[in-house]
Amino acid sequence: MHLAHAFPTSALCASLFATGLLAEPQHFSLAEKLLLIALIVASAWLFWKRFGVVVDKILHSRKDPGFQLFPIGKRVWDFFWEVLCQAKVIRERPLPGLAHAFVFWSFLAFALVTLNHVAVGLGIGFLNPAGAFGRIYYWFAAAFALACAVSIAGLFIRRFFVRPIWLSREGHAISYESGVIAGLIFALMATYLAAFFVTDSSLAARLLWWAHTLSLVVFLPLVPHTKHLHLILSPVTIFLSRGSFSQIPPLVGDEDFGLVTGKDLTQLVSLQAYSCVECGRCTEHCPAANTGKSLNPKEIILGVRGYLNEFGPTAEELLLGKYNSQEAAFQCTTCGACEFQCPVGIEHVPIIVGLRRGAVNTGAWEDSHGTKLFLAMERNSNALGMSSAERDKFVQKQELPIFDGSQEYCLWLGCMGGYDPKGREIISSFVEVMRYLGTSYGVLRKEKCTGDPARRLGNDLVFQELAESNLEMMTQQKVKKIVSICPHCVRTIQEDWKDFGAPPEIEHHSEFLARHHARLPHQNTGEKIVYHDPCYLGRYRNVYDEPRTVIAAAGTLVEAERNRERSFCCGAGGGLAFLGEEQGQRVSAVRAQELVATGATTIGAACPFCNTMFRDALASSGENSPRLLDIAQIAANQIKAAPSQ
Amino acid sequence: MSSVLVFLENKNREISRISWEAMAAAHTLAEGLGLPVDLALAASPGNPIFEKIHGKAPRTVYAIDDKLLHDYTADGFTEAYRQLIEHVKPAYVVLPHTYQVRDFAPRLATRFKQVLISDVTGIEAPSGTTTPAFIRQLLQGKLNATYRHPGTGVCFLSVQAGAFRADPAHGGATTLEPFHPKLDAGQIRVKPGEPFRASAQTVDLGSAAILVSVGRGIKEEANLPIVQELATALGAELAASRPICDNGWLPMERQVGSSGQTVAPKVYLAIGISGAIQHLVGMKGSQCIVAINKDENAPIFEVADYGIVGDLFEIVPALTAAVRKVKA
Amino acid sequence: MKIIVAIKQVPERDARIRIDAEAKWIDLRDVEFMMNESDAYALEEALQLKEAHGGEVVVLSAGPERVGKTIREALAKGADRAIHIESDDLAGYDALGVASLLAAAIREDDGEDPDLILTGLQSDDLGLGQTGVILAELLNLPHASLILKIEKTGSGIKVLRELEDGWFQHLELPAPAVLTIQSGNSKLRYATLMGIKRAKTKEVRRVTVADLITVDPGAKPADPVVQLDRVSLPSKQRTTQILSGSPAEAAAALVEKLQFEVRAL
Repeated sequence: MHLAHAFPTSALCASLFATGLLAEPQHFSLAEKLLLIALIVASAWLFWKRFGVVVDKILHSRKDPGFQLFPIGKRVWDFFWEVLCQAKVIRERPLPGLAHAFVFWSFLAFALVTLNHVAVGLGIGFLNPAGAFGRIYYWFAAAFALACAVSIAGLFIRRFFVRPIWLSREGHAISYESGVIAGLIFALMATYLAAFFVTDSSLAARLLWWAHTLSLVVFLPLVPHTKHLHLILSPVTIFLSRGSFSQIPPLVGDEDFGLVTGKDLTQLVSLQAYSCVECGRCTEHCPAANTGKSLNPKEIILGVRGYLNEFGPTAEELLLGKYNSQEAAFQCTTCGACEFQCPVGIEHVPIIVGLRRGAVNTGAWEDSHGTKLFLAMERNSNALGMSSAERDKFVQKQELPIFDGSQEYCLWLGCMGGYDPKGREIISSFVEVMRYLGTSYGVLRKEKCTGDPARRLGNDLVFQELAESNLEMMTQQKVKKIVSICPHCVRTIQEDWKDFGAPPEIEHHSEFLARHHARLPHQNTGEKIVYHDPCYLGRYRNVYDEPRTVIAAAGTLVEAERNRERSFCCGAGGGLAFLGEEQGQRVSAVRAQELVATGATTIGAACPFCNTMFRDALASSGENSPRLLDIAQIAANQIKAAPSQ
Repeated sequence: MSSVLVFLENKNREISRISWEAMAAAHTLAEGLGLPVDLALAASPGNPIFEKIHGKAPRTVYAIDDKLLHDYTADGFTEAYRQLIEHVKPAYVVLPHTYQVRDFAPRLATRFKQVLISDVTGIEAPSGTTTPAFIRQLLQGKLNATYRHPGTGVCFLSVQAGAFRADPAHGGATTLEPFHPKLDAGQIRVKPGEPFRASAQTVDLGSAAILVSVGRGIKEEANLPIVQELATALGAELAASRPICDNGWLPMERQVGSSGQTVAPKVYLAIGISGAIQHLVGMKGSQCIVAINKDENAPIFEVADYGIVGDLFEIVPALTAAVRKVKA
Repeated sequence: MKIIVAIKQVPERDARIRIDAEAKWIDLRDVEFMMNESDAYALEEALQLKEAHGGEVVVLSAGPERVGKTIREALAKGADRAIHIESDDLAGYDALGVASLLAAAIREDDGEDPDLILTGLQSDDLGLGQTGVILAELLNLPHASLILKIEKTGSGIKVLRELEDGWFQHLELPAPAVLTIQSGNSKLRYATLMGIKRAKTKEVRRVTVADLITVDPGAKPADPVVQLDRVSLPSKQRTTQILSGSPAEAAAALVEKLQFEVRAL
C-alpha cells in the first residue's frame, strides 16, 4: 500500500489502488461462453469478408518492378520511428498528432488487456489484476486509457465542431464513420476505466464486461470497411515504402506505359490506396489545392481506392476516368509536400507521375502547351525550343572553358543556365566564385536537356532519348563530377538517369559553396534576406543548411512562414513552368507574397526556376519589391565587395 | 529569235509590284544575253490594265485571252501558258514568285521537262562562255546557293519579292498581240470558290503581319493607349508579355510566350519588354524584331534586329506620328 | 481512304552552318536530322482524315539510311506503313528527278490507288516548294497548294487554300488529287512511347532506285536540267542595329527601315 504514497496523489489514483483493482467477472455460464464465441466468430467472419477482399485486390495487383526489400535497415528504422514513435504524426501536426499517438499507444498497451478480457470470458483468464505484474500492468494500461479517452474526445471535438477543412471529403463535410469509431474507442476506454470502480462479483462488472466485449466485436468488422483499415495496413505500408523519396518506378517491357488501367496498378500502389487515413495533411500542404485548382492529393489516392473498390486490379477501365480526372493529374508540380507529410507512407508523386505517364505515353493527353513542349524537346533537345547556337554564343561570350576530361568539374548549364537571361546571370556569378577559388572546371560543348519536364509529365519516349544520349556523351567526354545550379538537373541526373545507365557524380552549387565557405570572403551587410527552399533541393535532396550558410554570411537570414521541409512550391515543377496555369491563383504569386511579407529586402533563391517564377510574380508588386538573387549571386557579390587581396 | 518571256500577274485589277520587279529582273538577264523581252498577261486585249505597262519597252505584249482564265485555276493557266511558250519559244521564262505562281509554275515547267528555279534573289549575268547563274537562298535564308541551267530547252525562274527594284513608272507605247489558247472546260479539274477574308472577331495573333507587344515597362494600365495608338497606326495587333495579362490589363489571348501564344509575324515590336526566356520562346521566330527599352542591357536587344534605347513614353508617340505621316 | 504522305528528312532547323569541303552543301558532321516541318503538318492532316474516315496512311520518303528514323517517327505518330526509297546521292537529281522516283514508287505500290497524296508545302533545307506539284503533273492528277484544311465530300474533296494578305479560298476537286499542305493549320501530335513501340511491327518497304527503274524504265530520272553550282554564306549576318538620336529621329529612322529594308509598311 505504500505504493500509493510514492506517486502524486489524486483521488482517482488513490482510489484505484485503495478501492479497486480491475474488476473481472469471475464466472461465465456456458450460454455466455457460447454467446461470446459466437460473437467472436461472427465478428471475425465479417472482418475477413471485407478484409479478405482488400488483401486479395492488393495481392492480385501487378508486382512492383525494381522493388528491393534490402537493405532493410532503413525500413526497420522507419517502422520504429514513424509507426511506433509516431514521429511524423506528431511533428507535422503537434496537438492532434499527440492525441492520435496516445490513441495508438493505447491500442498497443491494451494488447494484453484485450487478450485477457476474452480469455476471462472463456474462463481462462491469465493476467490476474491482483498479481504483482497485474497491478503494474493494469495501472499502466489505465493511464493510457485515460490519455486515450481524453485524446479521442478531443479529436472528436476537432472533427465535428472545429471542422478543419482538410479532414473533409468532396461532397461530405462530416464523416459519420469517424464518429462511430470514436464512440467505440471511447466506450472501450470508458468501460475499462469504469471497471476499476466496481467489484468482481457485481452486476455492474458483468455489464461493463459485456459492453466492452460488444464494443470490441463491433469495432473489428468496421475496421476494413472504413479508413481505420490503416490500423492494420499502415505499418506494412511504411515498412514497404519504395525506398527513397518520390521514386518513379521503371517501365517494364513493350506494353508498359504507366498507370493506364487497373491492370497497371502495382501492389504498392494498391496497398497505399487502402492505407489512406483521409487526414488531409497532403492536401493541406499542396500548392495546387491551396490555390484553387482541381487537384487534391487526398482525392487522387481515394480515387485510386474507389477505382479498386469498383473495378479491381485487373480492370480495363481507364484510371483517369470515373474516379480521377486528367485535369487534376496535370496540375501537380511534383513538389512532394504531400508525400512528405503522409503519416501512413503513401507515396503520392510516383502515383501521379504514373497516371500522367498513362495519359502521355498513349497520346491521351492533348494539351497545346504540353505538345509544344514535347515537340520542342524532340526537335531542339531543350525544353525552351531554343537553338543550341544561342548557348554557344553565351559560352563564347563568357569565355567559359570547354570541358575536355582534364578538369575536375563539369559545370552543367542546363536549359535555364544556357538560355534564360536570369539563369545565365547565375552561371556567371557562380563562375566568378569558381575562378576566385581556382577551381578547375569546364563546360560541355553540347548539352541536351536532362529531360526533367518530360520525366515529370510522363513522356518516357522523350526522356529516354535525352537520358541515353546525354549519358553516352558524358561517357565519351569522360565526365566524372558535375556541379549544377539547378536542383531539377541534379535530381534528374542523379536519380532518374539511373534507369538508363550510371550517371556521374553530381552536386548542387549550394553544396559546393558551403564546402568552400571558409575560403570565400564574407561581407555581412545585415540586410534581411529570406531564403526560399526549392522543392527539388529541400524535400527531394535534404539540403537545407548549405544555402543558409551562404546567406547568413551576407545578411540576416529570415525564414518564411512555411520553410524547410514545409516550403511552399514556386509553381514551376512537374513541367508546369511550360504549361498554362488557368485555374485559381498563380502559385508563384501566393508564395511571392509570403516571401515579401517577411519584410526581407532580398529573396534568396537556389533554383533558376524559382527565380524565374518569382521574378514574374514580383513584377506586380511594384517599385518596392525585394531584390531577387540566387545564392551564387549573393556569394559573388561578397567577392566583389571584398577589399582586394 | 529567242527571248526572255515575262508573265505578269493581275492582282485586284492592278499589275502587282512584284510583277514589275520580275520584269526588271528579266531586263537584267536579257541585256546580259542580248535578248529581247516579251511580256504576257492573262487578260482580254481591251482590258485597261494594259495601259499600265511601263518601264523599258518590251518587244511584244501578249494578251492571253480566254474566258476559262477569268478565274485562276492551275490547270487553266498551266495549259494556256504552255501554249504561249510553244508559240513564242523563249529561252527564258521569268515569273514573279507569288502564291499563284508557286501553284502552277512547277506543273508548267514539268511539261517542258524542266525544273523551275524558284524564289531567285540574284542573277549573275553571263560572261564569255559561262551561262547566267541564279542565286537563291537555302536553309531559311542561312545559305546562298548558285544555280545554273546547263540543259537545253526553256529555263524557268521565279523572282523573290523585293529582290529586284522595279523600274520607276513612266508610260510607253507597246505592241499588243492577242493570244487565244485552245482550252477545254474538261481540262480544268479544280473548281475555285470566291476568295474571302477571315472574320476579325477573335484575337488571332498568329495571322497578324505586325504585332505591337507591351511589357512591364508600360508601368500602369492607364498608359496602354499610347501603345494601342501605335498598333492602330501600323494596322497591327496588340500583344503582351505575361505580367500584363496576369494583371488583367489585357486579355490572356494576347499573351505571347511559353504559357501563351507562339507567334512569327513579319514585324514584332517589343515595347518595354525585357526579354525573359519565357517571352522569347514565344516570339523568337519573328522575321524582324524591334525592341524599345530604356535598359540597354535588356536581353531583348540580343535578339532584336533594330533597337531603340530610351524612354518608351517619348519614343512610342514619336513613332506613331512618324508612321501616320508615311501612311498618309 | 488511302492517303500517301511524302515526307522529307532535313537537317535540324538550328544546325550549325559550316560549308563542306566541296562547297556544295553544309558539313553534316554533328548535324541532327528531323522531319521537315510542313511534312509533319501534312502527316497530321492525313492522320486526322484516317481517324475520321478510316483507311490507311502510307508514308513515302527518299534518302539514305538515316531517313529511317524519320520514317519510324511517322509510323509512331500513327501512319500504317512506309516506303523508303534508299539512295545515298539524292543531291545528284534535280527536283524533277526526285519527283520521278516518288511517282514511280507510288504507281508501283501494292493495293488500291491512293485517294490523296499529301506533301508539305516546301522543305526547310532546299525550299523549292515544287515536289508536290511536279508529282501531280507526273501522275496526271489535279492538285492544290497551300492547303490548310481538307474535307471529304461525296464526289471528291473540298479544301481551304491560303491566299496572300489574309485572304482564303475554298476549292473543290475530284479525288485522287495531290495537295501541298501549309504549316501551322493543325495541332501537331507528339510521338508517344506507345506509338514507337507499335511502330516496330509496322512494315517499312525498302526499294532502291535500280528496283524502281527495273519495274518501270520510264521512271529513270533524266540528267538534271538545273544544277547547284556552289553554296556560300550570306555576307550579312543578323546583327542588332541600334537607332540613336532623339526620339523623333530614332522613330523616323525606324520607320524608314520598316518601309525599305523590312518592307512591312
